[in-house]
Amino acid sequence: MPNPARIYDYLLGGKDNYPADREVAEQVVAIAPVTRDVVRDNRAFLRRAVRFLTREAGIRQFIDLGSGLPTHGNVHEIAQAIAPDARVVYVDNDAMVVTHSRALLAGDNTLAVHADLREPDAVLGHPEVRELLDFDQPIALLLMAILHFIPDDQDPLGIVARFRDALPTGSYLAISHSTRDIPVRPDMSAAEMAEMGARVERLYQLTTASLVTRTRAQVERFFDGFDLLDPGLVEIQLWRPDDQASMLPGGFYGGVGRKR
Amino acid sequence: MILTEIPPERGGGPTVRRMLVGAQLRRLRTDKGITREQAGEAIRASEWKIHRLENGQVSFKDRDVVDLLALYGVDDPVEVVEFVILAREANAPGWWHDYGDLLPQWFRAYVDLESAATLIRTYEGQLIPGLLQTEDYMRAVVGGAQLEDSPEEAERRVALRLGRQTLLERKDAPRLWAVVDEAAVRRPVGGPKVMRAQVERLIEASELPNVTLQILPFVAGAHPAMVGSFSVLRFADQELPDVVYVEHLSNATYLDKRDEVERYLDVMESLCLGSEPPARTAQFLDRILDKL
Repeated sequence: MPNPARIYDYLLGGKDNYPADREVAEQVVAIAPVTRDVVRDNRAFLRRAVRFLTREAGIRQFIDLGSGLPTHGNVHEIAQAIAPDARVVYVDNDAMVVTHSRALLAGDNTLAVHADLREPDAVLGHPEVRELLDFDQPIALLLMAILHFIPDDQDPLGIVARFRDALPTGSYLAISHSTRDIPVRPDMSAAEMAEMGARVERLYQLTTASLVTRTRAQVERFFDGFDLLDPGLVEIQLWRPDDQASMLPGGFYGGVGRKR
Repeated sequence: MILTEIPPERGGGPTVRRMLVGAQLRRLRTDKGITREQAGEAIRASEWKIHRLENGQVSFKDRDVVDLLALYGVDDPVEVVEFVILAREANAPGWWHDYGDLLPQWFRAYVDLESAATLIRTYEGQLIPGLLQTEDYMRAVVGGAQLEDSPEEAERRVALRLGRQTLLERKDAPRLWAVVDEAAVRRPVGGPKVMRAQVERLIEASELPNVTLQILPFVAGAHPAMVGSFSVLRFADQELPDVVYVEHLSNATYLDKRDEVERYLDVMESLCLGSEPPARTAQFLDRILDKL
């Protein structure tokens, strides 16, 4: 069964994927050739967001929900390069992902937990998570390219709200989310983009997790109770770009908010 | 492609560095939309020769490298010189050259591959993984192998294994992710004293930042690798496939065809899933130590 974590690994150039995953990934790329760029841009957005959170916001605790297979530039590597005492919890519901994370990422200040983010209490109440993180100090919650695998009937807004309520004021939320709002190429119309998104969604119905693209307004609602930082919820490529950022915005929305 | 088919040159040669240089040449060529035949003409050779060069199967001549780079539009002199140096290094014999008489042909490629890998995943059913063995444990293994060595040869075999271990202390050391069967940590190779030291060494190693050690406990019951040990080597270059290494008594098999490698990777995933998580390894070994 094709698996989004391994499809993502393949799109990033990783080697931990199987023929079924590659087949779906190649079909996605055939429909939307920019997918590889968008996936790389998403890693770049993660990098910039974690750097900002560590360096400028002074965050020392992270929960990466739906962390996926280890790759280059994992959260603790980015954060600990700036603040060696940064602590990171990786959460994933895929057993293989967690096995890899435990083997390749875990260390004194990092932890990989096998849990489903759709059950926030299982994550928040996990004894090892409670041991590593101090819930009286600000925590950054990372939901990178994961909420679009939670359809509305599973109440993604309620899930994010439950996490929010467990975090102290001054905590942060960073989200990236696929959309069909924004054309990924200058020569593409909004209608073509919407059609492309619909076809990709249909492909993901063949995998272990369906994909739901959302509009800007829909993604913004996840930040309820948070103040979105400049420049707001934007194309990930335009969120505080550095000199390595891609020039071709589109595909995903991204934003970082601070809990009131 | 089975790597054992690579013709041995200059006592083996650093297989992987040649594969890397070859892969770069292939990338440069295909980026320019040049066929192997056209490239062959430029160096007065056949399409087949280009194929072999790009697969790291033959050594590189400076003149061929320079001519190919010119054809591929690489004209920055600094870049050309750097590339030629890389190709020359790829032709040089590996560090284990001095032990050539002891290393069977089939094991030479492994020593090369191992030292070029970024991730070494290994399952060992009976032995402690070579990279984590103590000197006394090695001695007991070499002694038990019925090799009819002279004492000097036996000692050099141990020295060779120790040489391989320096890999884990390199600045750009690979990560070793090993699954070891409980049988391997319980069998008192070399007697209880040697084995105690070996288990202690494993506990220390499990705490190294680039070593992940998982024990596959007896209680896991039947598992998909009961037929034997194997390793999967991964390299940084995206174009280099993972290589599976399976050792037999008098030879070894190397696999790098995707469907074959994936079968082994899949088995490796099951083994890792069925084993104790790495965080519990030290505790598990402590219990075994108490009973040795």
